[in-house]
Amino acid sequence: MESKGKLFQYTDNKKVENILSQYPDNRSATLPLLHLAQAQLGYISTGAINAVAKLTETHPAELMDCVSFYSMFYLCPQGKYKLQVCQTLSCSLNGADNIVEHISKKYKIKPGETSTDGKFTLMKVECLGSCGTAPVVQINNDYHEGLTIPELDELLENVQ
Amino acid sequence: MSEFKPILTEFIDQKNCHTFDFYESKGGYSALKKALSMSPEDVIEEVKASNLRGRGGAGFPTGLKWSFVPPDSDKPKYLINNADESEPGTFKDRLLMNKAPHQMLEGMIIAAYSIGCHTSFIYIRGEFYKECRILEEMIGDAYEHNLLGKNILDSGFNLDIVIHRGAGAYICGEETALLESLEGKRGWPRIKPPFPAIEGYLKSPTVVNNVETLSCLPHILNRGAEWFRSIGPKKGPGPRLFGVSGTVNNPGVFEEEMGIPLKDLIFDRAGGISNGGKLKAVFPGGSSSAILTAEEAMDVRMDFDELSEKKSMLGSAGVIVMDETVNMVQACLNIARFYAHESCGQCTPCREGTTWLVKMLTRMVHGKGTSKDIDMLFEITDNIGGLIDFSKGSYGKTICPFGEAVAWPVRSFVEKFKDEFLQCIMKEEVVA
Amino acid sequence: MYNEGRSSRLMPLLKIDNQEIEVKSGTTVLQAALKQGIEIPYYCYHPALEVVGSCRMCLVKVEGMPKLQVSCNTYIGEAPEERKIDGKFDMVVDTKDKIVVQEQKNILEFLLLNHPLDCSVCDQAGECYLQDYSFKYGNAHSRFDEDKRVRANVYLGSQVLINHNRCILCSLCVRFTREISGTNELFVEQRGYNSKIATVEDNPLDNYLAGNVTDICPVGALLSTDYIHKNRIWNLNKQPSVCQDCSVGCNVDVFYQKDKIFRLSPRENHDVNGYFMCDIGRYGFHRYEEIDRITSPMLKSNGIFSEITWAEAMTKIVDEIGLNDGNIAGIASPFHTNETNFLLGNLIGNVIGILPEIVDEELQYPSGFRISGDRSPNKQGMTDVCPQIMEAFADKFDKKNIKLLYVLDDGIDRKLDKKWSNIFSEMNLIIVQTYAMTEIAKSGDLLLPGLAPFEREGTITNDRKRVQWLRPSLSSQGESRPDWEILTTILNELSEESPLFTDLSQVIKAMGESFPKYKDLSFFKIGMNGLSLNGAAKD
Repeated sequence: MESKGKLFQYTDNKKVENILSQYPDNRSATLPLLHLAQAQLGYISTGAINAVAKLTETHPAELMDCVSFYSMFYLCPQGKYKLQVCQTLSCSLNGADNIVEHISKKYKIKPGETSTDGKFTLMKVECLGSCGTAPVVQINNDYHEGLTIPELDELLENVQ
Repeated sequence: MSEFKPILTEFIDQKNCHTFDFYESKGGYSALKKALSMSPEDVIEEVKASNLRGRGGAGFPTGLKWSFVPPDSDKPKYLINNADESEPGTFKDRLLMNKAPHQMLEGMIIAAYSIGCHTSFIYIRGEFYKECRILEEMIGDAYEHNLLGKNILDSGFNLDIVIHRGAGAYICGEETALLESLEGKRGWPRIKPPFPAIEGYLKSPTVVNNVETLSCLPHILNRGAEWFRSIGPKKGPGPRLFGVSGTVNNPGVFEEEMGIPLKDLIFDRAGGISNGGKLKAVFPGGSSSAILTAEEAMDVRMDFDELSEKKSMLGSAGVIVMDETVNMVQACLNIARFYAHESCGQCTPCREGTTWLVKMLTRMVHGKGTSKDIDMLFEITDNIGGLIDFSKGSYGKTICPFGEAVAWPVRSFVEKFKDEFLQCIMKEEVVA
Repeated sequence: MYNEGRSSRLMPLLKIDNQEIEVKSGTTVLQAALKQGIEIPYYCYHPALEVVGSCRMCLVKVEGMPKLQVSCNTYIGEAPEERKIDGKFDMVVDTKDKIVVQEQKNILEFLLLNHPLDCSVCDQAGECYLQDYSFKYGNAHSRFDEDKRVRANVYLGSQVLINHNRCILCSLCVRFTREISGTNELFVEQRGYNSKIATVEDNPLDNYLAGNVTDICPVGALLSTDYIHKNRIWNLNKQPSVCQDCSVGCNVDVFYQKDKIFRLSPRENHDVNGYFMCDIGRYGFHRYEEIDRITSPMLKSNGIFSEITWAEAMTKIVDEIGLNDGNIAGIASPFHTNETNFLLGNLIGNVIGILPEIVDEELQYPSGFRISGDRSPNKQGMTDVCPQIMEAFADKFDKKNIKLLYVLDDGIDRKLDKKWSNIFSEMNLIIVQTYAMTEIAKSGDLLLPGLAPFEREGTITNDRKRVQWLRPSLSSQGESRPDWEILTTILNELSEESPLFTDLSQVIKAMGESFPKYKDLSFFKIGMNGLSLNGAAKD
């Protein structure tokens, strides 16, 4: 985790208030507040943990208990584009392993690693819930379904 | 064979089918009007009479589940829409949320009304970002048209819906783990008792229903319980969305009657095995069900009881097809690895057992199996998920059904394709 | 509790193995079994903490339920008439069924999968539930042929070390920091196979109750840095006693070998400390290892102390008291037992006071556990049996007329303030009954060696008026004598009418005759959990 002392502030306080107002108790707002912090910062920093802990009236350790459980929360900075390749059965039967190998070779990164230019992080993830259009790659928030290798290449070469 | 006229997915191919205006133009929200004119108890009775069973995987009778909520409790009641679709092979709820969100919302409002709930949550998996945005917009439209918020359609009934995004944990699809996650904690399932219908979200009575289950409700209200009951087998009737994926030519979601023969789904709807191949094995109900061999698959129907008798389950109706090019040991490892990754780690058998399976299967896939591995695989799966003898009932070793969910498929692979596993054993063993 | 819809007959009938017992409605099967002396193995259950049912060790067979049930979460309540078994039992449980026995083996196998074979170097050996249950319920060998998960040890706090490889993730420690201490330092990091106990970087496990997690950990994962690798449980003797570091009087077990104390653990007492104790008391015994111990009577002459015999000391005291016409003042001590203070009161008469009190933070924890601000163990008892103690003694003391002072030293090294220094400087002779060369002792003239706290026996009364029995763990050193014995000897030397008590029970009897509240006390009456002087009132 990053060095302590770096405070975190939400840029959109109205959103924060809105989130808190939707739940009968503050602790239930934990996940949406974490998503908001990660959307702003790209990952969950120590400062973000402390900020969310305060808003949800919990202790930072209790919050870490929660954050470290979920695979979508990152505790350190990631690449600009997270290439999340589904590796569960249906996708695996439809070429997911080839996609991983291809990305790995092309951008010289192993699963879990980020390319040296900070652009791509390769991640092997579990079932993304779109088995009918396997293989599926989720790039940041977007699903890219039924990709062939050439289509994937084109997609990645054209991102900013 | 006769064409089944889709009910839940009737309009998904039409433009803007997801919008409020479209839904209203097709008679949408008339079921809600009808429900609001009935008493909540009558709505529950109607749903009970329809024999609707949950479409999330457990198949629990919906009306019965609602009736567990104590009507005279002074605690707030909660209805939670389980949209955490993460079961491998299942991708139907995503379709419903993308193409028929208002149908689902109408179902939610009907369900909330019948149990006396005024704040309802949609727990949607974090990866479904696009679906979440669509739902936000549609919910906004519903509020605008007085279908949500205060005094819905002048009935005096108030309801707010809140979308709650998950963050990447399959276990949060389990009812009590979902409640923990909703409360802002890690998704560790709770022991029962207490039961969610009595003490669920924030210790208040809570009902958790699946997207598809809720989507059936407007149709039951509009056309009647008897009509619904007449579709397919009486004990588990209704339209059902079957997802077919894997090594097939035409994967996708197919809405059919409950009880459709599995071979029809594979060879007719999904266009048969890709590249002209042969069927080898198939998961009938998502990866948590026991696999069926090609032979078994040819004469079974997609029905709760029939699949139960075949020692498998209907589950989430996610059919994953494997042809003869698929190595069963690798497929088994793939599934075991999924479960090891998703294990929450709270209870001993699952936490330790799932990774033990992965380590053992990995070794076997690389040809380094030993002769006792096969028996060990049987034993470990029994120890995590209980004996697969349905007449005696499983022996409940874990807090939640995750134990059974990993044990059944892995065991079925070893049982039904033992030869392939035997081939993974080292030719020369080191004798200690 | 969770007997939804069931009637509230108070005592349902449970058949467990072949015993038929009536239990209170709402009791769990595990609680009923433990009370009855039937062993059901378990890890993650603790009576003071929330039930989680995660270890799966306590599975039992309940008739009528197809799955095995965790006995820690199976509540016994009255069954409707038509569901009673054999017409009378509300629940029938089998803890020795062969399926249950097989399950126990299986769970243990899973727990031992990654557990290192550390017994020979692990502190927990000999008092380890994993060892005990493996021996009783487990398989003789492991069938795990893969690589074990290995992680380095981590200091969770200054007093607690975690050996991750031995941890079975029962989460007792995490629940402790949430429910008992309320300090929330511990959490479970990650999930599944990679789960482990952790703290956040700037909030280590350093609260006053931290040491308790090393007690509740059923295996050798959480280790006390104070005790690590110092000894083995089978070498240690255990003496039940009472903590002397504040007026709560937590019940403890003192573990010692020969003449050294190795550790203290809390002893269960629901009228005082529940299941726990604080770290001040837990590690306080070290204080006595480094003191300048006095083990012989000493007399100061020209500013230098030299050893004298007891006979010489007694003679000196009797002579001085005679010279002063019996005018002697005394300082009682809330750090000494009732018997000692009582006899001091008999010796001195009316001019008795106490030194400035030792006070510190009063701490209350969410569970109800308390550390008193009064850091002496026996202020209540001292006041009870020495009622003549004057308030504001330093102000009222007539140092012009009284020149002889008898001090029961607390044993706490402290500097005297101006008022007290003046009093001391005006005295002709100051007798200090002490066990260490404290500042008070140094300013005395005649030193009488008493016993150190872990050598003493007697009764003390906590701040909730519960009298408890202090038991010695260490033997006396050199010429030191029990503090009550010193005083009874002096009293007898001064007047033959004053009895020479030769046994503690005689002192207690005499004390009871003077103070009705303490009447008829005995070790058997006080017992292991103390006796409330409030009558039937609970603390």
